[in-house]
Amino acid sequence: MLKITTLLFCICFANNFANSTDNVVFTKAEILNKNTVRIPFKLIDHLIVVEASVLNKTGNFIIDTGSETLLLNKVHFPSKYNHNIKNNETTGILSYIDNPLQKRLKSFNLQHFVLENQKSDIIDLSHIEKSKKMKLLGIIGYNILKDYEIFIDLYLNQITLTKVDKFGNRLDPKVYAEKIVDSLNFKLKKHTIVINGYIDNQKLKLGLDTAAEFNQINKSVNKKVLKYFVPKKRINLSGASDKRVEVLMGDLNRLKLSETIYLGPMKTMLTNLSKMYEVFGTQLDGILGYEFFKYKRTIINYQKEKLYFINYPIIRK
Amino acid sequence: MKRIITHSILLFLLLVTIQTFAQNEKVKGYRIEGDEIVFSFDKRDYTKVSKNNYYTKSDFEDIDINNVVVSGEFNNWSLHKWKMIKLNENIYELRKKINDFTDEFLWEFKFVINNYYWAEPSKEDFNINEATKNGHQLDVYNLNFTTAYVDKNGNATFKIKGYKNAQKVILSGTFNRWNEDYFNMLKTEDGWELTLQLRPGEYEYKFIVDGEWITDTENPLMNKNEFDGFNSVIRIGKLVTLRLNDNLNATKVILSGSFNNWDENNYQMIKTKNGWEYTFKLSSGKHHYKFIVDDNWIIDPNNPVQEYDYDGNINSVYIVK
Repeated sequence: MLKITTLLFCICFANNFANSTDNVVFTKAEILNKNTVRIPFKLIDHLIVVEASVLNKTGNFIIDTGSETLLLNKVHFPSKYNHNIKNNETTGILSYIDNPLQKRLKSFNLQHFVLENQKSDIIDLSHIEKSKKMKLLGIIGYNILKDYEIFIDLYLNQITLTKVDKFGNRLDPKVYAEKIVDSLNFKLKKHTIVINGYIDNQKLKLGLDTAAEFNQINKSVNKKVLKYFVPKKRINLSGASDKRVEVLMGDLNRLKLSETIYLGPMKTMLTNLSKMYEVFGTQLDGILGYEFFKYKRTIINYQKEKLYFINYPIIRK
Repeated sequence: MKRIITHSILLFLLLVTIQTFAQNEKVKGYRIEGDEIVFSFDKRDYTKVSKNNYYTKSDFEDIDINNVVVSGEFNNWSLHKWKMIKLNENIYELRKKINDFTDEFLWEFKFVINNYYWAEPSKEDFNINEATKNGHQLDVYNLNFTTAYVDKNGNATFKIKGYKNAQKVILSGTFNRWNEDYFNMLKTEDGWELTLQLRPGEYEYKFIVDGEWITDTENPLMNKNEFDGFNSVIRIGKLVTLRLNDNLNATKVILSGSFNNWDENNYQMIKTKNGWEYTFKLSSGKHHYKFIVDDNWIIDPNNPVQEYDYDGNINSVYIVK
């Protein structure tokens, strides 16, 4: 027993030691109270990017519900920091790279917001830096976001994080002054938000991914669905693994998510998603990304497995 | 020897004039108004046309115009879809939201007459590039547009002092995805200068002086970049009018917000026929505000966008972007 206690003590000590440098602070955040924070973001192309500092470095982080963990960019966190080789693949549409270096962040700190013992992977994200011409420290994924309700607001260009209990109830009674007008259930499959959509009565399993710059629809979906995909142009795309591929872009029409939620036409990319099983941990017919959030000011509640929506304003000029 | 000097001076003057002339030329085919891009076709601007799929040019005058269409990368060079509206005998226009064009920096386009004839821009036009199809040059030009563009009456002037012996100074930044060719700066008496029309927002930029990247030493605002150096930062605001309808019996209405430190006196709103209004320049980003109607604080009843402040009070929210 003593041994275990000693071991625990040692681990705690080691972690505390690491803690002195391992804080992530959102430098421009508006901290409303101990439960709620609003973080402004900028859009770099279609990526939602917040500014934060970690390990004495300040820079950009991509908000990515499609990524399982916090990812740190090896370019800025080289091997002088403690880490060990991780065996399994890191997932996320931005990254499917073998053997990332893993490290543990003792706490992910938003001043009052301290998340204990966050796992982070260290991988090379220099190709995103190059293609987006930005300083990218890392990617904030599911394991950071899951303890909060997250309001992704492409109208005010900000993310609101508010703490929830294990049932998903907000601890802060005054988070949104605007009215929630609609909601939608989703299923959480591993770390991926999966919602059901319908085109021409065909059911589609769609992943919701804040870091998907374009919506995607799988080539192998029912032909009835593809009738509503109108091709527009071919574009070159570079993914996280630095390969360039040519894909077909177009408009996806008449997507219905519920009796009250219709979308479209949305800019969508025709892709082969069957290989992305690893990334999302589930088989998907499509991915809703930036284009969806452009239409819908969306609140994600992981515990309740529910999305809530706030209207875009119609303002007189 | 004297001749050589005279020639050199003449050549130099010629070069300067050409450059200045080329840069000051107005962009052709579009203008930006607020959050809209207005494609504009004036038939007097074109002298040549070419038939679709035949690249031989013929004279414009011979054609009777039935319709004009905007065709470009954004609509897969469709000859039919983006039909323009006839404003008068010469001018056709089509308005689109700029937000639909943000996924590229530069878009190529052309005007199509009667769904068949391409109106050919001339080589002297400012915003052109050589047209290609499947990697082959077509020996004609396309017009192009960017959401940031050179305009001597624009809202952002960039200046760099010195470097009088430099051959070429380029302005490059997030507004043009760090393009290294597009924005040639103009030589002035004490350095180089260029004025752009930019949408409201925060941008990072640098100067490239004969290939060397330089931050703006006159500008204290800087962000760290991916090369562990710094980029200069510029914030573009816009003129905004906030309005409060009715309340015509009030004697005084004040606009107070995060932009004026919640001042209770300075921004006195002006009475209009329908209510009250105040026009001022607002920086990019999010702002909280309220109206003080005869000492009563109220939120903007016509603005549904609201947020709680630190004390749990509700404010109206205005975003400049």
